[in-house]
Amino acid sequence: MPSATTEAFRLMFGGDPELWGIIALSVRVSLAALLIATPLAVAIGYWLAIARFRLRRVLIIALQSLLAFPTVVVGLILYMLLSRRGPLGAWQLLFTPDAMILGQILIALPVLASFALAAFQGADPRIQETATSLGATHWQAAWTLLREVRFGVLAGVCNGFGRVISEVGCALMVGGNIAGFTRTMTTAIALETSKGEFAQGIALGFVLMALALAINVAFALLQGRGASA
Amino acid sequence: MSEPLLAVRGLIKRFANTSNGPLLAIDTFDVGAGACVVLTGDNGAGKSTLLRALAGLETAHAERFDFEGRPIAIHTYPAELRRRIQYVHQHPYMFTGSIDHNIGYGLSVRRVTTEERRRKVDAAVTWAGLDTVRAVPAPQLSGGEKQKVALARAWVLEPQLFLLDEPTANLDATARAQVIALIRRLQSEGRSVVVACHDKELIELPDASRFHLAAGALEQLR
Repeated sequence: MPSATTEAFRLMFGGDPELWGIIALSVRVSLAALLIATPLAVAIGYWLAIARFRLRRVLIIALQSLLAFPTVVVGLILYMLLSRRGPLGAWQLLFTPDAMILGQILIALPVLASFALAAFQGADPRIQETATSLGATHWQAAWTLLREVRFGVLAGVCNGFGRVISEVGCALMVGGNIAGFTRTMTTAIALETSKGEFAQGIALGFVLMALALAINVAFALLQGRGASA
Repeated sequence: MSEPLLAVRGLIKRFANTSNGPLLAIDTFDVGAGACVVLTGDNGAGKSTLLRALAGLETAHAERFDFEGRPIAIHTYPAELRRRIQYVHQHPYMFTGSIDHNIGYGLSVRRVTTEERRRKVDAAVTWAGLDTVRAVPAPQLSGGEKQKVALARAWVLEPQLFLLDEPTANLDATARAQVIALIRRLQSEGRSVVVACHDKELIELPDASRFHLAAGALEQLR
């Protein structure tokens, strides 16, 4: 095992193209998924926090239940939808990075929306009231509210990033773990470990942990700057 | 006799989802142009609710709600009226950011140009005596300073009517005196002001008419 760790460091710092290609794809897929899911999730969170309608409680419970939804089941559903004979088979997305993005959007959405909902629900009611009484339109007041609760929403984005970059079930099912095309950090770790090749797995594990640390440090710094603003 | 700035007849405010009697049942309430009206009443009498209803922050119904002689549908509260009536909360919320950002907020949402906004914010900062604390982030200000920022961000919009909800509550003596000085300044500038309060000095403001709210009804005091 020590030799595998040494090899892992050599791969990381020696600029191994295969390893860094896997890292780049993983980050690209997860960032794309978050970029698409975040505005949608913020809108869902805002709507559930502000609107009053009969099924609101049911939808909130459903949303929160989706947090515990296994990613492999998301992968399974998406697989059935995207497979050649599935209803979305004509899109020809199965085993492509786009399918993985789609899967990660579905995985990230409940996390992001739940954090956004909690942020909006916990917001001081005077925010929108003050904005409205100062002449803001409904949209301007909503934007002001989002600006005031941005750290709660950002916490959701960090959490969502952690969830999608580290998930393996969906990426494996709809990505197919194709070398150089859809192989992500987590699917590579699973594959390499099953082959008894630990070096790349350890290297990718280090990168995953470093990414998680970097995201949390960046968030803490942002929060610190926000608190003194 | 000239038309009052605000003329309210038969204003009713009920709690939602209750068959209890109305919280407010105001027969007549007039505010003249340039007048100062002091509203007193026990805690929970409905002073804040009345001000909030007049500001369109609470839904209410009125037989008549005339502003500058024009009838207004109070239950739909047109956006245009928010430019003319400004409500200042007892504990004003400060948006994240600078004092300038807070004072300029109402101008920003009205798409006032940056240059004009800067000029007006400068004037409002000076008006409220906030020059010495201008660099302090607004959420970190003291209660009295927040109240002054709230008054300044209403003043900068040049409304015809100010609705002030217990502006001196929970303030120390110095901050209270500064806020009262600003309210007297509004009076001297000829602005119409309705102020809900328990503060003796505000109740005894010169040239103010006084109303007492009890059991949802308004009674003018002599």
